[in-house]
Amino acid sequence: MMQGITKRFGKLVALDNVDLEVRRGEVLMIIGPSGSGKSTLLRCINHLEVPDKGRIVIDGVELNSKSANINKVRAEVGMVFQRFELFPHLTVLENITLAQRIVRGRSQQEAERIARQLLEKVGIPEKAGSYPAQLSGGQQQRVAIARALAMQPKIMLFDEPTSALDPEMIKEVLDVMLDLAREGMTMVVVSHEMGFARAASNRIVFMDQGRIVEMGDPGVFFTNPQHERTRAFLSKILH
Amino acid sequence: MSAEIEAGTRSDRGRGLSLSFSRAPYWLIILLILFLITFYAILSSETYASALTFIAEGIQLTIAISVAAYAVALIVGLIIGLGRVSKNPIIYTLATLYVEVMRGVPLLVIIFYAQFVIMPWIDDVLAFQKALLRNTFITGVIALALGYAAYLAEVYRAGIESIERGQSEAARSLGMSHFQTMRYIVLPQAVRRVLPALGNDFIAMLKDSSLLSAIGITELTYWGKTKVAASANTFLGWNTVAFLYLILSLLLSLVVKWIERRTSSGRR
Ligand SMILES: Nc1ncnc2c1ncn2[C@@H]1O[C@H](COP(=O)(O)OP(=O)(O)O)[C@@H](O)[C@H]1O
Ligand SMILES: [Mg+2]
Repeated sequence: MMQGITKRFGKLVALDNVDLEVRRGEVLMIIGPSGSGKSTLLRCINHLEVPDKGRIVIDGVELNSKSANINKVRAEVGMVFQRFELFPHLTVLENITLAQRIVRGRSQQEAERIARQLLEKVGIPEKAGSYPAQLSGGQQQRVAIARALAMQPKIMLFDEPTSALDPEMIKEVLDVMLDLAREGMTMVVVSHEMGFARAASNRIVFMDQGRIVEMGDPGVFFTNPQHERTRAFLSKILH
Repeated sequence: MSAEIEAGTRSDRGRGLSLSFSRAPYWLIILLILFLITFYAILSSETYASALTFIAEGIQLTIAISVAAYAVALIVGLIIGLGRVSKNPIIYTLATLYVEVMRGVPLLVIIFYAQFVIMPWIDDVLAFQKALLRNTFITGVIALALGYAAYLAEVYRAGIESIERGQSEAARSLGMSHFQTMRYIVLPQAVRRVLPALGNDFIAMLKDSSLLSAIGITELTYWGKTKVAASANTFLGWNTVAFLYLILSLLLSLVVKWIERRTSSGRR
């Protein structure tokens, strides 16, 4: 849940008093033109960006409060980046086991067992010993998802997970995300993949200039948007 | 940066394949011939042959001091390099002060400072009865390490800053602390990237260790000064000293080139 979040970069107001609540098990999509503050919003949720104003509460823990251990909170919030951000000096397996060991304190064996299970789940068990540079973009993004899932997060954030991918690889990543949604993972997804929005999302948020312009369930949102700006934006991306 | 290195190695490789007549390393051949002549002249003369023992001792000390000082500088430099990228203003200021002072003062002055200020002071405080003052090896190591730590710190800093911000953000988003992110994600990549630069600084340090002759440390140059220069044929003597440094530098630079090739053709 976030309340009255404001974030400025110098004079630029990237987020202007944003309120948003994500319910457990919900898939929330965020769409909006480039520069509208979608990434900044996601990055505020796990404090990669510290908001200038407002409150963020995750599972009862208020992030700004002094007692909150930000590293603990982040371990509960999985994040998937547009450019994958796998660790290039580590193998796929090490990418997935490192944080399990040093953050969660799991044994090497336990971490590897979980990693292999997740690689199975994202469909590339045979790549455990490869280095990221040896994988295709789609495979890298699936490893990145597995790496985040290995922490057993309560919520997963996706920042344009398919926009750096070649078209033929988009589906393999979306399929993994679709599976996750079906299993009841709480997800906040910034993406313009409308097929995914229709198939998996519970609510869609349209952002523009640092504000939430409109929010609704996908059926109503696509067929009958309330705002002129939403309509204009949809007509651009739906073709 | 890495693209440049890759381009460099590719043309190197091309050169290796078609060792064209005009680009063969003639300079190396000339050096070799000159070296053989010098060496022959020395061996064939009684007086010079006796100097060889001193020279062997000098080389050993040169290498020992350089290796020891470099090891210390690698660690001190890393700590100061981390200070240079610290967000804490006090740590950053102290680290920057160190780097600017050490890089702004000539190494020879740092050496004298170590010999005549730092060592007596340590002796005083720890009441070592001038034991340290007499141990010029330690003085030499400290002086070289203090000076070169500043250069190495800047190399580390450049390496750390060259790692994309997304890498540490990904690490932090997994719940790693700032320290863990540095230790497991940023530093391993940064060090790999700056290995060639670190290697080059070792070569530079090895050559600069010749300055230690000024405080009577019996390394290679010292013997050049005391034994060779005192003898009749200074030309041959100094040639020998110069050649020995040259051989060490050239061998080491081959190692650096090899590392460079490995890191750039590696898995990034
Ligand atoms: N670190 C930053 N420093 C300065 N400006 C930033 C920074 N990050 C984002 N911005 C600006 O904030 C606005 C919102 O950016 P962002 O959240 O990335 O938008 P979106 O993800 O919707 O494209 C943009 O105008 C962007 O230029
Ligand atoms: Mg963005």
